[in-house]
Amino acid sequence: MIEFASTFIVSAIQILLMLLATPLVCGIIRKTKARLQNRRGATIFQPYLDLSKLMRKEVIIPSTSSWIFRITPYVVLASMLLIALLVPTIFAPVPFHWMGDIITIIYLFAAARFFLALGGLDAGSAFGGLGSSREMSIASIVEPAMMLAVFTTAVTAGSTDLSIIVNRLSTTQASIIHPSHVLAFAGLFIVTIAETGRLPVDNPGTHLELTMIHEAMILEYSGRYLAFLELASQMKLLIFLSLLANMFAPVGMAIDTAPLSLIVGVAAFILKVAILAIVVALVETANAKLRLFRVPELLMVAFVLSLLALILYSIIGS
Amino acid sequence: MFDTQTISLGIEILAATILVTTFLIVSSRSLMFYVRLFAIQSFLLGLVALLVAVGFGETHILIAAILTIVVKATVIPIALSKVIDKIKVRKEIDFTINITTSLLLCALLVILADSVARPILEAQRMSDLAVFKVLPMSIAVMMIGLFIMIARKQAVSQIIGLLTMENGVFLSGLSITYGMPLIVEVGIFFDIFVAVLILGVFVFRINQTFDTINVDTIRRLRH
Repeated sequence: MIEFASTFIVSAIQILLMLLATPLVCGIIRKTKARLQNRRGATIFQPYLDLSKLMRKEVIIPSTSSWIFRITPYVVLASMLLIALLVPTIFAPVPFHWMGDIITIIYLFAAARFFLALGGLDAGSAFGGLGSSREMSIASIVEPAMMLAVFTTAVTAGSTDLSIIVNRLSTTQASIIHPSHVLAFAGLFIVTIAETGRLPVDNPGTHLELTMIHEAMILEYSGRYLAFLELASQMKLLIFLSLLANMFAPVGMAIDTAPLSLIVGVAAFILKVAILAIVVALVETANAKLRLFRVPELLMVAFVLSLLALILYSIIGS
Repeated sequence: MFDTQTISLGIEILAATILVTTFLIVSSRSLMFYVRLFAIQSFLLGLVALLVAVGFGETHILIAAILTIVVKATVIPIALSKVIDKIKVRKEIDFTINITTSLLLCALLVILADSVARPILEAQRMSDLAVFKVLPMSIAVMMIGLFIMIARKQAVSQIIGLLTMENGVFLSGLSITYGMPLIVEVGIFFDIFVAVLILGVFVFRINQTFDTINVDTIRRLRH
């Protein structure tokens, strides 16, 4: 009974932390970018205000659209929440880790992307179709790169269950951290930037028709649907950052439910994600948007790095 | 201070990072970026040498490490960026092999390097050298350096390819024997240093004469 209660509490903390921290991460990135560009920028809590304003706004649904258009925001947000339950943030193994391993997570991302692309196409506008086709063509290179990167840590830990990977890596510190993780980290970082539509690949701050990818797909959405999609895309960023932080540097991860280790876990998680968010902001400031036809080159770098990580693992051995 | 296990892990991680910088050189097309990446690569190489020197008590490597950081990570990159500033060529535009294909070919080169190095590693099974696992990576760096020289047409890129190859040679020297004798190392350093200076002047001259540093155009010399 006690075990059940603690499991429940830990899951609740996890999902609440993810929901609450999600807009904050976005806010930190925007604020850092603003400071780097010599602007004062909005407060780091601006994304919360944006979301609450969107929630109160009227929903306008294009007359040409079908039920797919209406179901998409729910499917996308639900997949992200499910992934948020599966990804170890402060505690490993997460209570629901038997629900699915790393492959499930990759396919949940794929399901969300599939529906988002359908939603973009469904309204029948030219931009939606453009965004969907671009998103899918980028995804075709990003997905294998991501798989190879996470499989590198999976072979090191001997399991595809994300919680068990993180747990093993954090309990047997130095001996299991492998040189190939450097390459896998670099690969997964590029994947993160591409998947979450950050700057060298996609510009989150503009609606310029020539360049937009993610924004083109959600152009027809408004009101709370838009709020759900925004929250989902911000949560995707947080999920990727916590994957980066916890698979490659599982320092401070709580491995039992004692209050002290949970507090340390929360503090370590916030610190790691904040550092990564600032790094993302630095990358966004230092790089200009790539031409769309150059994007596959960047993604190929990610793919080759992840592939190399696996090759290197077999070269060096465990 | 640290046990050998930790030090070899550090060396392996640094070597993996050197391999990453080599791939980044292959993936980019801006000449300035090549030079910066080469500087980072050499700095990491200097750190490897430093670790070997401190960790395994090979004091003569210490001098090689300092020379690497001073000459390869500072002086040569500054000299090369001066050359790039003067010739006003910023980007590589046409390639013999495009970037996407190059990256995949380089991944294959790493596998090839592994299969080349594996018999050597197996023959030396009794060896107690902790940094031995770096050998495949260093051979890969050498091969990719050669590949850069083949695949790129700008003279500056070819210099970078040559220097990358040299870094690979130094790394493999470190991994097999804890570095060559100091006199050899110093010789190589001055060789490379003078080579870069001369090549830099050459590039400048080529640019003046042909208005380009694309080496394809230099075939005109034959007529």
